[in-house]
Amino acid sequence: MTKLLKTILVAGVLAAFGLPAAAQWPVYPTPNVPHKADGAPDLSAPTPRAADGHPDLTGLWEIYFQSIATAPRNGQPGPSRSQQSPGDGGQLGLTPSTPPTDPKAPPRATFFDIGANIPGGAPYQPWARELRAKRMAANNKDNPDAHCLPMGLMQLHGHPQPRKIVQTPRLIVIMYEGNQGLRQIFTDGRKLPKLDDDLQPWWYGYSVGHWEGDTLVVETVGFRDDVWLDVQGSPLTSKGKMTERWRRTDFGHLEIDVTIDDPTAYTRPFTVRVSHQLTVDQELIEFVCNENEKSSQHYDK
Amino acid sequence: MKAYWMFTAVGLGALLAQGAVSAHHSFAAEFDRSQKVTITGSVTKVEWENPHARFYVDAKDEGSGEIVNWDFELASPNGLMRRGWTRNSMKIGDVVTVEGFRAKNAPHVGNASTVTLASGKKLFAGSSAETEAPPGGAAPPSN
Repeated sequence: MTKLLKTILVAGVLAAFGLPAAAQWPVYPTPNVPHKADGAPDLSAPTPRAADGHPDLTGLWEIYFQSIATAPRNGQPGPSRSQQSPGDGGQLGLTPSTPPTDPKAPPRATFFDIGANIPGGAPYQPWARELRAKRMAANNKDNPDAHCLPMGLMQLHGHPQPRKIVQTPRLIVIMYEGNQGLRQIFTDGRKLPKLDDDLQPWWYGYSVGHWEGDTLVVETVGFRDDVWLDVQGSPLTSKGKMTERWRRTDFGHLEIDVTIDDPTAYTRPFTVRVSHQLTVDQELIEFVCNENEKSSQHYDK
Repeated sequence: MKAYWMFTAVGLGALLAQGAVSAHHSFAAEFDRSQKVTITGSVTKVEWENPHARFYVDAKDEGSGEIVNWDFELASPNGLMRRGWTRNSMKIGDVVTVEGFRAKNAPHVGNASTVTLASGKKLFAGSSAETEAPPGGAAPPSN
């Protein structure tokens, strides 16, 4: 790229931001990121490994939608997929970088509908199907997130705002920008708690993980009865178990296959896939939902 | 050369992209897609807070002729910040034209889809027209 073109590009980026960089929180480059010749992060570089030899899932991750290749470089934060809606690609004339098709992969869950790509939808028990229909007829206004309550693990998986994974040998912490979700996955060898009536149910349940080769297998139990698996209100109950298989397939991609086993709400266990893509040179932004929540005053009665 | 122009245009377009999805609540829980509104008036207050940035506009009611204060909802500040906007991008006293959708159960509450200053500069929301502007010629999106 010539100097002139570089100048034009920088000017364009500055025009788009229209403000000195100091007006925002400082941009700090993510360390240890392999870059391609054109300066873009090399997302297909090998999977990084932790000191214990396991794949290291640490990083800031976003739902796999737009190619990070559109990000302007030159020390400016790139456009984040979290700022885009699924419709934006077409509107902007961008080519959506949907994950590659894998015929052996489980159907892909969406933020709105966990069973969106399961023929016939998720295998609801009749009461669960009816409940979801009622919730949808009410425009999903009782989604816990719409009232600043935790949205649960599955909505966090599909949320357009980024999440940061911090992996240590005995504990994995995930901080979600979306509604400030916070999750712990214990990898210190402890057992999954037994479900009984004394167990205090949690929005995010209790998660225990172990490695099977390069796959992190996470089992979670102890959910509340009022968790919504998606915006359209697919239920999860306190008898439910979630098993996730996490794989960082290369430097920039994460695949999570989620199995829901909840015979109270579903006629059989079912598995869906969530894909994430690494994002660099940016950080989580504070999101405190109850700062100024006024939308719910206007929800349709 | 052309490829670089396009790259810049795409970058700008992505920065200006309006996130139509409200992650906090479903659009239809609060707003009526069939009730489009266009309001011109003066900004009286800006609340750059979660879960949605909001701004208030004094505008003349078409029916009564009286001045009413509209309450408009935007995306959340984190999404707006990633597009380069700040809490100072809109100022009290700015005269704006807001296109959006009316709330279902409140007459002067709306969701802002585009906000245009008297100068023609657009705030917060990017439209497909803007992304087609020549690179470098796109209106800078802040004050």
